Amino acid sequence: MAFNKDEANRQALILDDLTILEKALACDFVGVALQKQKGLEITWPFVRGNRNEKYKYISIRYGKGIAGKVIATGSPMEINLFPVNISGKSTDYPIMLAEQLNSAYALPLYWNGIPKGALLIASRTGHFFTEDEKRSADHIKRQIESHLPEYFNQGEEG
Amino acid sequence: MELNAANHACSYIIQSQEDEIKRIALELHEGINQNLYSLYTGLGYLESGIKEPHMKSYAKEMASLMERTIQEVRLLSVGLYPNTITTLGLEAAIKSYAKLFTDTFGVLIAIKSSGRERTMAEQRSMTVFRVCQEALINIAKYADASSAEIQFTWKEKSLKIEIKDAGKGFNLESGIERFTGIAAMKERMLIAGGQFYISSEEGKGTTVTITLPI
Repeated sequence: MAFNKDEANRQALILDDLTILEKALACDFVGVALQKQKGLEITWPFVRGNRNEKYKYISIRYGKGIAGKVIATGSPMEINLFPVNISGKSTDYPIMLAEQLNSAYALPLYWNGIPKGALLIASRTGHFFTEDEKRSADHIKRQIESHLPEYFNQGEEG
Repeated sequence: MELNAANHACSYIIQSQEDEIKRIALELHEGINQNLYSLYTGLGYLESGIKEPHMKSYAKEMASLMERTIQEVRLLSVGLYPNTITTLGLEAAIKSYAKLFTDTFGVLIAIKSSGRERTMAEQRSMTVFRVCQEALINIAKYADASSAEIQFTWKEKSLKIEIKDAGKGFNLESGIERFTGIAAMKERMLIAGGQFYISSEEGKGTTVTITLPI
């Protein structure tokens, strides 16, 4: 019972971080994608600003999608006017299609020195992310990373 | 006469592409992946004989990367050519693709079927599979729908498939960006001796209907 309470608290903390980011940047969608503890799939367990429930069913492979690419490379990724000038096809970016997003900035989330997730900030209009916006995202990214040890350890126990 | 020649050329190009895709998919699955699997087994054997903890952990990491590569190659192969189409049939292949489609795009697919599934030549089954695949991709790209339905109707001498979504729909007169995909689906069906219809209304969704004599 205590374990469930801790888990609920942790989820609430991550969602609070996302709400802060959503308001601070006046963006339309923010989300955290995480690689499963066992296996290679990447899911979107935490989102804010979603227009539908599709994110719940998306389970992509390592290296696929915007989150998969960020996790595989360990580097940030920016899209300014989706699907113009993207690398690959629009279908390579499922969350952009699912949420009808036009611009996005994604950062890797590290656990134990390894990229295990991605933080995504996105808008439904074209947008060039400013250095200030990127700094705010980086600040929240660190807060979210601080919750990851418990998240992944809980996965190991489960 | 000219139309027939153009149809033959088009059919030849499509079939050549399909043959090449199948060759690459089988090569990946039965050639490269079998070798990778042998290497994976060998790595496991080597790992068991290593005493140094550091080297043992390194070998384990390599085996894990190899396992991931095998899985990636298998999925790439299945993505190129659905093997199940010849072993388990068209419906099974489409069901399997629909599962992958939901995992990728989050769009739920309900599959319904009436009548008994008939055996079709591989070339015709692949035509139907590719058209269904294109129709689903269009739903992910343009429809903004959370779910879709595929209805198979098998009759003694024909197959009808309806792919419906309740998404935003589009004006058939001005939906230019989709026209190439629609024209390709129509062409594939005509070459296979079938028919292709599409109906759509803004705000009400889109229905693709294909029919094929068996």
